[in-house]
Amino acid sequence: MANIISIENLSYTYPESESPAVDNVSLEINKGEWISIVGKNGSGKSTLTRLIDGLLEASSGTISVAGQKLTEESLWDIREKIGIVFQNPDHQFVGATVEDDVAFGLENQGIERDQMVREVDQALKLVDMQDFKNRDPQSLSGGQKQRVAIAGVLAVNPEIIILDESTSMLDPEGRETVLSLVKDLWQNKGMTIISITHDIQETALSQRVVIMKNGHLVEDLTPAQLFVMDDLKQYGLDKPFTTLLKEKLNFDPEYQDEEELISKLWKLN
Amino acid sequence: MEIKLNNVSHSYESQNPDAGLGLDGVSLTIKDKSFTALIGKTGSGKSTLVKHINALLKPTSGTIKIGDREIDSKTNNKNLKPLRQKIGMVFQFPESQLFEETVEKDIMFGPMNFGATEEEARESAKDALKLVGIEESYLQQSPFDLSGGQMRRVAIAGVLASNPETIILDEPTAGLDPVGRIEIMDLFKKLNKQGKTIILVTHNMDDVADYAEYTYVMQNSKLVGQGTPKEIFNNKELVDSGIVSLPQSANFAKKLAEKKYVFDQLPITIDELSNMIKEQLENNG
Repeated sequence: MANIISIENLSYTYPESESPAVDNVSLEINKGEWISIVGKNGSGKSTLTRLIDGLLEASSGTISVAGQKLTEESLWDIREKIGIVFQNPDHQFVGATVEDDVAFGLENQGIERDQMVREVDQALKLVDMQDFKNRDPQSLSGGQKQRVAIAGVLAVNPEIIILDESTSMLDPEGRETVLSLVKDLWQNKGMTIISITHDIQETALSQRVVIMKNGHLVEDLTPAQLFVMDDLKQYGLDKPFTTLLKEKLNFDPEYQDEEELISKLWKLN
Repeated sequence: MEIKLNNVSHSYESQNPDAGLGLDGVSLTIKDKSFTALIGKTGSGKSTLVKHINALLKPTSGTIKIGDREIDSKTNNKNLKPLRQKIGMVFQFPESQLFEETVEKDIMFGPMNFGATEEEARESAKDALKLVGIEESYLQQSPFDLSGGQMRRVAIAGVLASNPETIILDEPTAGLDPVGRIEIMDLFKKLNKQGKTIILVTHNMDDVADYAEYTYVMQNSKLVGQGTPKEIFNNKELVDSGIVSLPQSANFAKKLAEKKYVFDQLPITIDELSNMIKEQLENNG
C-alpha cells in the first residue's frame, strides 16, 4: 500500500520550553489506514498532529503528505487534504446556522455558490444532519455538533481525517453515533483516519496503534498486541475491561474480546 | 449544608416564559456531606441546574434553599459572595480560565477575592496545591508551562483554596487520560470523606457507579429519576428508553444474562460483577 503520510526525524520544541514536545519521530501511514495515537496527556500526540497539518512549523525533520513535501508553499494544498475534528465541539463553530458553518471551509476555497450549496447538502447528508441545516449550531447536542464539525471537514473532501479526542466530551450516545460515522467513512470512502484517544476500547476499531511517550514514538503495534501489554498505565491507558474482569476471576491472561469472554463464561456455567 | 430546590423553573427568555425552559419544575434535595451525581444527556439541563446552586443563574420561579440562605427570582445580586465562597464550582475545562503569571498567584486569586489577606491566601495556595498532588516547587512557575493534566489540577486547587463546603464539578475529568482521571476522582472522594459535599455532573457512568452515593437524572429540563446508582442502573424504564446508559459492568452482565446467567440486580462495579459470576459458577459449574 502507498504511504499517504511520511514523517522523517521530526522534532518540535515549544518556544521557551527546554525539552522537545516531539522528539525525532519517524512514521509511515498507509493510505486508507485507521491508526490510533495513544499516550499520556503531554506525551506529544496533539503536537504531532498539529505539525502534520502545518499549524506548527517543525524545528527539524520532514513531513510529506500524499507525495508532497510540507513547506510554506505547499501548506495550503496539504491542508485541503487533511480535516481535523477537535475535542470541544463548542470551540469550532463560526456560522450562524449549521449550513453556513459547513459552507465556511468551501467559501475559503472560492467555490461558486450553486456548487457550494450542493456540496454542503451532500456533506450534511453523509453525517445524517440534513434536517438541521437551518438550526443554530449552539442549539444542538454534543454528538450532533461533532457530526456537523465532521460535515464541515467532509465538505472540502479531504483524504485524511484527524480526530483529536473528538469523542471525549460526548455523552455515550453521541460517542456511539460519531464513531459509527467515522467507521462508515473509513470503510466506504477509503479515507485515512488518524485518531488520538485515551480510550483503549476505541483503539480496537483501528488497525494499528502507535504509542507516544515524552515526545518519542515508543511502540507501533496492533490493538490486540496493545491489549495484552503489561504496563498500560505508564502510557496513560486503562487496562481493557475484559482483562480486568479476567484478573478478578483468575482466568488465563491471554487476551479475549468481550464476545469471546462471554462465550467462555457460558461454556463454564 | 443541605441544598434544597423547590419547584424550580428557569426560562432563558424572561419576556416569554414558555419559550424554552432550561429547568422545568425541579424539586430535589442534596444532603449535607453527600456525594451526589447528576446525569442526563447533553442539553438535558444539568449545567443549568448546578448554576442555580451557586446563584450564577436565578430561578424564574421556585426557590433554592442553601443552608439557611434562600434564593428566588427576586434575590439581589449583592451579598452573594458569602454563598459563593461556600460553594466552589469547577467548570468544564477549568484550565481555560487560568490567567495569572504564576501558579501561586492564580490559586491565591480566589481566597483574596473572598477577603483573605495576602499571607493567608499564600498559605491556602500552598495547602491546596498539595491537596491536588502537585509539588510546591511549581508555585513560582507559569501555569501555561504545565501539562494539560497539571493545569487542570492547578485550576481545581484554585477552587479548593477558598475552602468551600460544597464542591460542584462539571465534567471534571473530560479530556484527562485514565490515570489522571482516577487521581482526580480519588481526590474528590477524599475531600468527601473529609466532610465536603460533592456534586458531580458527568457522562461517565463508571464514575457514577464507583463514586456516587445518590444520583439524580435529568431529561428535557425535568428531573426524571432519582435513587442510588444501583437503583438508577436497574431502573428498566430509564435504561430501556435510552435516558440512562449503563456502566461497563452492568452492560457486560446484561449480555451474559442472555444465556445461563441470572442477575436479579445488575452489578454496577467490576467487583460486584466478578463476585456474582464466581457465585454462579460455584453453584452450577
